[in-house]
Formats: sequence, C-alpha cells, structure tokens
Amino acid sequence: MRKALLALVLLATACGSPQLVGEDRPDLPSITGPQLEAQLAESGRPAVVNVWAAWCAPCRSEAPLLASAAAQHGDEVQFIGIDVQDNQADAKDFIERFGLDFDHYFDRDRVVPEYFGGIGTPITFFFDRSGDLVDTHLGVIDDRTLALGIDEITKR
Amino acid sequence: MEFTLLWAALTAVAAAWLGTRVWRASLPDSPTERIVSSAAAGLLVGRIAEMIGQGINPITNLSDLLIIRGGVSVPAATVAAIGTLWWTSNRDLSVVDSFSAPALVGLAGWHAGCLWRSACLGTVSDLPWALAEPGSTITRHPVELYAAVGLVLASLLVSRIPPKPGLRSAAALGLAALVRLVTEPFRLSVTGGPVFWYVVGLSLALLAGTALVWRHREI
Repeated sequence: MRKALLALVLLATACGSPQLVGEDRPDLPSITGPQLEAQLAESGRPAVVNVWAAWCAPCRSEAPLLASAAAQHGDEVQFIGIDVQDNQADAKDFIERFGLDFDHYFDRDRVVPEYFGGIGTPITFFFDRSGDLVDTHLGVIDDRTLALGIDEITKR
Repeated sequence: MEFTLLWAALTAVAAAWLGTRVWRASLPDSPTERIVSSAAAGLLVGRIAEMIGQGINPITNLSDLLIIRGGVSVPAATVAAIGTLWWTSNRDLSVVDSFSAPALVGLAGWHAGCLWRSACLGTVSDLPWALAEPGSTITRHPVELYAAVGLVLASLLVSRIPPKPGLRSAAALGLAALVRLVTEPFRLSVTGGPVFWYVVGLSLALLAGTALVWRHREI
C-alpha cells in the first residue's frame, strides 16, 4: 500500500506542470466571423482554425496534437486559435502550458463558431487557400483526422 | 465519447463476439467477461500512458481519462490487455491462446468501424478502389479497411496453428504487428511519417518472433 501511494505521489510530481505564467503575454485580440473570413481569403494560405477554451477538458487532450501539427505544417498551413467563453488570464496560461505557438483570438460570445456553423467546444474548421470552408470537425480531433484535413486543404 | 466513436467501439465488440461464436469450442467459460475486462484494462492503461505522454496529469485531471478520442497509447494498451487476460486466466497461456483469433477479429471490427466515423482514408491513390472524402475529388487508400481485411486473414491463420501453449498468442501478436507495419505507410499522420509506428510494429513482431522461436525450442 505504501509503495502504491509512493508511486502515485511520484506520478503526480512527474506529471505536474511547472508554474507557468501567461501574464507577460499581451491580451488576445478580438475577432468576428466576417473579419476572420476576410483575413483567410486575403492570406491565400490554407488554414486550420481551432475553437478552444481553457475550461474545456477535451481541448486539453487535443492541444499537444495541435502544437505538433503547427510545428510540423506551420510553413504551409496557418493555424489559428479561437478562445471562446473564457477569460484572458486562463487563456494565456493555456497557450503557455501547451506551447500553442500560433495566432489566437478572444471570442467571449462565441460569434466565430456560430458564424461558421459549429456547435460545442472544441471545433476544428479547415479552410482552403481561397478561404472557403472545406470541413468542420466537432469534438476532440485525433491525429488521423487532423492529418487528413491538412492534406485535403493543402492539395486543393 | 462521440457517437461515431461509440459505434466504432460497438463494431469491435460485435466482431469480437462473432469471433467467440466461431471459435467457441476452444474457449473457456464466460469468455465475454474476460474480453470486456481485458479491453477495459487496455483502454484505461493506454489512455493513462497517452495522457502522461501529452504532459497531462491523470491524477489531477481524472475526467480526461474518459476522452478516449484524445488518444490511447497502443503499446501500453496492448501490454495491459494481454496481461489482464493472462492474469484472469490464472496465468494459463493456453487460455490466452484460445482468445487469439477472436481478439484479431475484434481488432478487425475496430478498424472496420472507420466506416461509421468516416475515417477510413489515408494517402492519395489512383487505384480503382480508392475512395474520396465527401465533396472532394482527391481519391485515397481506404487504409483502415486494408487493416481490417489483413486482421481477419491473420485470425484464420492463427486458428490453424497447433495448440501449443503460447504459440497462438505469439503468432497473433506478430501478425497484428505485421498488419500494422504493412498498412502504416498508407496512413496519414500529423508528425508526417510512419517512423514511430514502424518501430512499434517491428518491436512487437520481433518480440513475437522471439517468443515463437523460444517456444519451439522448449517443445
């Protein structure tokens, strides 16, 4: 029993995230659906737009995958995060914690996902280089689905 | 759990049940309980391992364990499932062997469950049987269906192996790894390559091959 407790404590210590401070980051800017749509069309690059929130447990699960995808495909695909129904401090901590090193916007009233037609959190939208919405994935996204979505928008 | 994933899981359970009906003569009593407990242990341990790998503390984020879609570590899940079956079978390898073929059919069901999830497709292909995403003109390998077919063939092969303790289990492990190895190049991955899974597949195949040789030496 003691060994089991010790193992649990060690596990908790090993997995405990370091004290991360997101206060130094500037506040996330706000954006609306039409503004994002125009931005995507002007950029001429395919895009993965992920709707997330710091309070959302499934978002935690997919965050490391999105960080890897952005690091791997960031040159050819733009990754954009839309933080919904959240507060700035928690949002910045979440970005720091998972190393989500791409552009994020703050959307307290969920106007962006509502504009593009997604319900719940998380959501992942895939846009081609013309800024047209190609696919919408509701819920946690897995490696294969994200890879397929990226492959589709880069080859169109 | 999303409904599509739930349907895929149910397909796997139904396939495993079908396997137990086909090979029921060689199975011990209450096979369903053993399959369910092994699968549950595999999912739990695999999910915990995946969370640790992602830097998410499974103790302080207990509810995240239920988010299966967030990822399950296949090597950890495999070891846990086989270990649980072995332990609940009083460490009798011949009992573990009897589940080899039904387990492969269950795995085939899991892969075929991609049809429910619209997640069968892999790399681009011009072959006549290649399929396209809805609304897309890009045709792709239905890689998960390749895996399902491969696993069904593997189960038939395993069921024909002589019943020597450990032999069928080792062969099933090796064949499952082989199917993974052969189909992996047709899959897409965010990290852009099958290198990791090649290592996993090769390791499992090597392990199984070694076990096979070891068993033959003993018998």
